[in-house]
Amino acid sequence: MTNRTHFDQELETLKLDLIKMGDLVIKNIDESLETFIDMNAQDAKKIVKKDEEVNQKEYDIEKECMRIILREQPVAKDLRLITSVLKMITDLERIGDHAVDIAKLTIFMEKSNNPFFVKEVYHMVDVSKDMIKLALESFANQDLTIAKSVVDKDDLVDTDFNTIRTLVAEAIRNKNIDADYAIYLMMVAKYLERVGDHAVNLAVWVIFSITGEHISD
Amino acid sequence: MKNNVFTINNLNFHYGELHALKDITIDIKQNEVTALIGPSGCGKSTFLRCLNRMNDLIDNINIEGNIHYHEDNIYSKNYDVINLRTKVGMVFQKPNPFPMTIYDNIAYGPRCQGLKNKAELDTIVESSLKKAALWEEVKDRLRKSAMELSGGQQQRLCIARAIAMEPEVILMDEPTSALDPVATQKIENLITELKENYAIIIVTHSMQQAARISDQTAFFLMGELIEHDDTDTLFTNPKEESTEDYITGRFG
Repeated sequence: MTNRTHFDQELETLKLDLIKMGDLVIKNIDESLETFIDMNAQDAKKIVKKDEEVNQKEYDIEKECMRIILREQPVAKDLRLITSVLKMITDLERIGDHAVDIAKLTIFMEKSNNPFFVKEVYHMVDVSKDMIKLALESFANQDLTIAKSVVDKDDLVDTDFNTIRTLVAEAIRNKNIDADYAIYLMMVAKYLERVGDHAVNLAVWVIFSITGEHISD
Repeated sequence: MKNNVFTINNLNFHYGELHALKDITIDIKQNEVTALIGPSGCGKSTFLRCLNRMNDLIDNINIEGNIHYHEDNIYSKNYDVINLRTKVGMVFQKPNPFPMTIYDNIAYGPRCQGLKNKAELDTIVESSLKKAALWEEVKDRLRKSAMELSGGQQQRLCIARAIAMEPEVILMDEPTSALDPVATQKIENLITELKENYAIIIVTHSMQQAARISDQTAFFLMGELIEHDDTDTLFTNPKEESTEDYITGRFG
C-alpha cells in the first residue's frame, strides 16, 4: 500500500499517454511506407496532417511532466521515470517526423513506371515498428530484458539498409531502376534506418529509468 | 580525498532498554554538508548529539563503539569534552539566543574562554556576524536585546555564536523547521557558504532541503543507518528499497 495514490495514478496516466503517442507514430510510419510503395500522394498528405496530432501529444506530455515535477517534486525512480518520458517523447516525435519525410517524398515523387521492389524495405519497417513496440512495452512493464533486446535488434535494421544500398547500386549499374526513384528509395531506407536508431534511444531511456544508468551505444 | 573530521565505527547507543542506534559506521568529511534524514524516532538526532557528547547529560544511557574526532576517541576516558564542544558547535531547531544583547550573545563564548580584550572581542563579534550573514542587519543595534530579532535573524545569531568559537564542525538539528521560507533560504545559502570553512552535519525533515544543500546524505531507519551516499546518487538512484520508499514518499 502506498500513501501516494494520487501521484501513482498520475504516473500511470503519463505512461499510458506515452504509449498512445507511440501507437500513433507506429501507425504513421507504417502508412507512410504504404503510400510510398503505392505512390499515393493523396494518402501521403493525410500523414503530414496526422503528424500534427503527434506534435500535440508531445506538447501535452511535456506539459504534464513539468506539472508533475513542479507539484510532486519527484526523486529516485519517479524522477528517472519522468526524465525518461521527457526524453522519449523527443525520439517519438522525430520518428513521426521521419514518417512525414517519407510521405513528403511520395508527394514530390513523380510516378515511376518502373518501380523497383525491395523486400528489405518492408522488413526494415517491420523490425523498427517492433523495436518501438517493444521499447514501449518494456517501459510500461519496466522490463529490463525486453528493453535490452531492442538495442540488439538495431543490427537487423542496419543490415537491411546495407542490403538495399547494394541492390540499388546494382540496379543503377544494370539500368533497372529510374535514377529519381533510386534516390528516393535510398532516402526512405535512410529514414527507416534513423527510425531504428530512435527506437534504440527509447530503449536506452527505459534502461535508465529502471537502473539509473546509461548504457553506452 | 578529503580528510575525515569524524570516523564512526560500530556505534551502538541505548536509552535504557531502547536500542536507539545500531552499529552505525560512517565517515564525516571536512568541507562537506552531510544531511541526516529519516522518519521521526529513527535515531538521526541521537546520532547528531553523540558527536559532541550532548547525550552525556541524559541518565541511563549506554554507548558502545568508537567515535573518533580526527585521531581521538571522544568517548575515551579523560577526553576534554569542553574542548570538543568548542570545536563542534551546535545549532538547534528553535533559535535560542541568550536573553542579553546581540553583542553579548556572540562574545559570550570567547569571554567564557577568558578573552577580555575589547578590541579583540569587537573583531570576533563583527567577523562572526559577517560570516553568518547577519552583520548588515544588526550592526547599528549591537547593544539591543537579541530577543528583539526575528526568528530567522535569531537563528543566524545562533550560528554566529557557534562560529565565534572558531569551531571546525557545526551540528544543526532541523535549523530551519521553525522559520519561514525567506529565512530558510537565507540559512540554506549560509550553510552552502559555511562549508568552505567547516564540516556541517544537518538533521532535516525536508527531503528537498537535503537534496538542495548537502553533499552527502545518510538515511536512518529504526536506529539503523540504511544508506549513505553522495546526495545526487541517493536522490536519483538509491540502492536500498526502504530508502527509495522513504524519499519518494511511499513509506509506511
